[in-house]
Amino acid sequence: MLDALLLSAGYNAAVAMIGATLLGVAAGPVGVFMLLRRRALLADAASHATLPGIVLAFLVNLWLTGEGRSLPVLLAGAGAAAALGVLAVQALQANSRLSGPTAIAVVLSGAFGLGVVGLSYVQTLPVAGQAGLDQFLVGQTAGMRLADAYLIAGVAAVLVVVIALLFKELRLIAFDPEFAAAAGWPVQRLDLLANGLLLATVVVGLTSVGLVLIVAMLIIPAVTARLWTQKLGRMALLAAAFGGVSAYLGAAASAGIHHLPTGATIVLAAAALFAVSLPIAPLSRPRRAPTALEPPV
Amino acid sequence: MNPFLAIDLPALLIAIAASVACALPGSLLVLRGQALLGDALSHMVLPGIVVAFLATGRIASGPMLLGALAAGLVGAGLIALVRRAAKLEASAAMGLVFTVLFALGVVLLETEAARKVDLDLNHALYGHLEAALWLEPRAWSDLAAPSIWLTAPRPLLMLVPVALALAVLLVLAYKELRLASFDPDYATLQGFRPRLIDFALTAATTLAAVAAFEAVGSILVIALLTCPAAIARLCTDRLGAHIGFSVLFATIIAVIGYNSAAQLETSGSGTIAAVGGLAVALAVIVRRLRLRVKPPVASPGNGPNTAVRPLRPGSA
Amino acid sequence: MRLGRAIGLAISLALFSALPVRAQAAPTVVTTIAQIGQPLGEIAGACAHVESLLGEGVDPHLYQPTRADMKRLLAADLVLANGQNLEAGLRRALDALAAQKKVAYLTEALDRTRLLPWSDHHADPHVWMDPQMWRDALTFGVAKVAALAPGCAAPMTARMHGYMNRLDALDRYIAAAIASIPAERRVLVTAHDAFAYFGRRYQLELQGVQGISTESEAGLARIQQMVAILVARQLPAVFVETSVSDRLVKALIEGAAAAGQTVRIGGTLFSDAMGAPGSYRGTYVGMLDHNATTIARALGGRADGFSPELARN
Repeated sequence: MLDALLLSAGYNAAVAMIGATLLGVAAGPVGVFMLLRRRALLADAASHATLPGIVLAFLVNLWLTGEGRSLPVLLAGAGAAAALGVLAVQALQANSRLSGPTAIAVVLSGAFGLGVVGLSYVQTLPVAGQAGLDQFLVGQTAGMRLADAYLIAGVAAVLVVVIALLFKELRLIAFDPEFAAAAGWPVQRLDLLANGLLLATVVVGLTSVGLVLIVAMLIIPAVTARLWTQKLGRMALLAAAFGGVSAYLGAAASAGIHHLPTGATIVLAAAALFAVSLPIAPLSRPRRAPTALEPPV
Repeated sequence: MNPFLAIDLPALLIAIAASVACALPGSLLVLRGQALLGDALSHMVLPGIVVAFLATGRIASGPMLLGALAAGLVGAGLIALVRRAAKLEASAAMGLVFTVLFALGVVLLETEAARKVDLDLNHALYGHLEAALWLEPRAWSDLAAPSIWLTAPRPLLMLVPVALALAVLLVLAYKELRLASFDPDYATLQGFRPRLIDFALTAATTLAAVAAFEAVGSILVIALLTCPAAIARLCTDRLGAHIGFSVLFATIIAVIGYNSAAQLETSGSGTIAAVGGLAVALAVIVRRLRLRVKPPVASPGNGPNTAVRPLRPGSA
Repeated sequence: MRLGRAIGLAISLALFSALPVRAQAAPTVVTTIAQIGQPLGEIAGACAHVESLLGEGVDPHLYQPTRADMKRLLAADLVLANGQNLEAGLRRALDALAAQKKVAYLTEALDRTRLLPWSDHHADPHVWMDPQMWRDALTFGVAKVAALAPGCAAPMTARMHGYMNRLDALDRYIAAAIASIPAERRVLVTAHDAFAYFGRRYQLELQGVQGISTESEAGLARIQQMVAILVARQLPAVFVETSVSDRLVKALIEGAAAAGQTVRIGGTLFSDAMGAPGSYRGTYVGMLDHNATTIARALGGRADGFSPELARN
């Protein structure tokens, strides 16, 4: 266990620990914005929406080349479908009075249903390569390679820079979108940008650590940070710290102790940080009424 | 053999029963911003399945159902707890709890006993709409005999009582539910206990969802909990009408979806879910065209359209 | 009603059994997986219409039953399934049809002691990985089909013997191919353990990274342990399965490379789904031949392919 904590438990352990930690650091602040925007589970909808994209990409590729399975093609299909899913959520909300969670649930189930329809069509085709189509792109933390870690590092750097540069604008749409719109801010475009950040996190996360861990990394550290502060800047920093620490500790535990699946252990580590924060953090006491500026999320 | 009686009738009846069982609690969940409970439940059942296997040493639908139900209830309780303790929006609390419970299930899967066994949720719990053949009635006239209905496929025998029980509960607790949904503060003043009602609603949803998971699989349950209620939400501001419309739309979506699946020769559950999603999109478009007004520029993200009276309680 | 049908059936049987084989309406046999349907179709020839619900390339984990499939099941005179919960998605339909006594589970015809137990009530379903066991399972299936086509007994028996001889030869080929691998390298490293029967039959040690459920996930300690095995035993290759993501296996290769051991992907093995329909690898024999030949060649054994189809260029 000590070996693992010091990154000397072996090559794979070191790569996975660094990659997961970077992803945790990047996902934390993105999660904070999603949480305040009441879109905590948008990542979940985006992830589920990849299925019809994968199936369609498989079919198109099959039609064009006679071979369905190709990593870049399926990845492009998945990414495009996830983006469409996020746009669909945004469009549903903008054009109706459906709440965020309802729009997310509609897109999640409708898109995944389309994917299942596609799968049930593909199974009637006399082609190989369809086995495991739904899992083909989904990664596992323990299977992280150096290239994955580099990709995560790159995306994380971009996310951090964009958030730092546009912090003021993002804060405005996070806390008071009506005021922002009235004051002439391009709320729609900023929203699109925030969703783009989320999308980047989801696609990179899905392929390197899998669905449940990326959803957890976007929610749990952000929720924990919100127990400690109401200031957005601090909240984002704390979420990054919590995300990084839980990924690091979870991965180390999974490297040091047998039969601990890495991604699941990271989720449990993040949950432990939340559970510890809950009784001692200043803002979790029920008596404190939320202020007008910072509504309950 | 009449293929309609053997294949389509049971599938349609199960789809309709699942629609009613899901649309009843779903209509309230959508009003309360808890539409994602179905998705959360579909993940939270995993540790229940694994524990049921570890405890009984077998993969049988009885223990699996009970395990799933228990895990669902524990998860629903934790969601309520986390929501209150951390003052969280419902879906954030759901995201937290479902990922943690699912992770717990994944850890349990790597234990020595479970590692070698295929405890895939699709194998252990989730069912398929089409697989419920009913071979006993050989002619339409056979259906007149009450005793033949006892031979109906088990998902139907399970979902119909669940749907009926939910309907009765809803009627009995209608007033409380309405107050708790729209005006929790007033409800508390009146001596009602919104938290208790909240938990009763989640427990009822868990029961309906787990029963329906076993009958039709997870994706259709998530769709039926949400899509019909979302369309109803666009049609009316009255709670009674909202619930009624939800059930009506759920049934229509189920029938249209099943028929499309039969024509396309695709999965029934997947097709109904996809039809549900498309129906919501269609409803939003039709409504926009009918209103013939530009949407308010404000809050493209979360706010309710100011052209209609906001109905969501408390949190807007 | 049922009595009437039975009488009708008896009369028609009595009538038709006197006629030459070709005039008799061939019974329809529906199988779940193609590992049953493909060999059975070959053996039955014109004596029965054999069709599989799951095509050769279809993964049982992803299979979605459709209404069209239910119609095929209803129309079938006989349904042959694998059993051991492999057909979980079809369980309800098979149970309903079993009440009419027209469903048979191939693995249940085998002696329970030959199966690898998974739980109190069912065993590892991947029995087709052992051609000797699958030979007995298929024999049972053929007997069920033959009972429906009594006029066809002679040609079917002849074809069955031919097929079984081929399976025996395949079995000898695989045994020789695996035995040609240097003893310390006789280790099959894959993402998950779907090859238990194969490993037992040919004394091949199995090392799967993760549990067998779709939801299961690997831990880093296990990855490091597997890398240590690869390095300590100088294994030259690890294997990818058609139905599982190849990421874990590629991570092992990278980990071994960091420790100075060059490991490559030995090839893609068929675990649940078979190869493309119509191709050699889309047959049961071709699937096993492909797996064994791929494993033996990658681990330093000698394997020329059971069929010339797989001979080295």
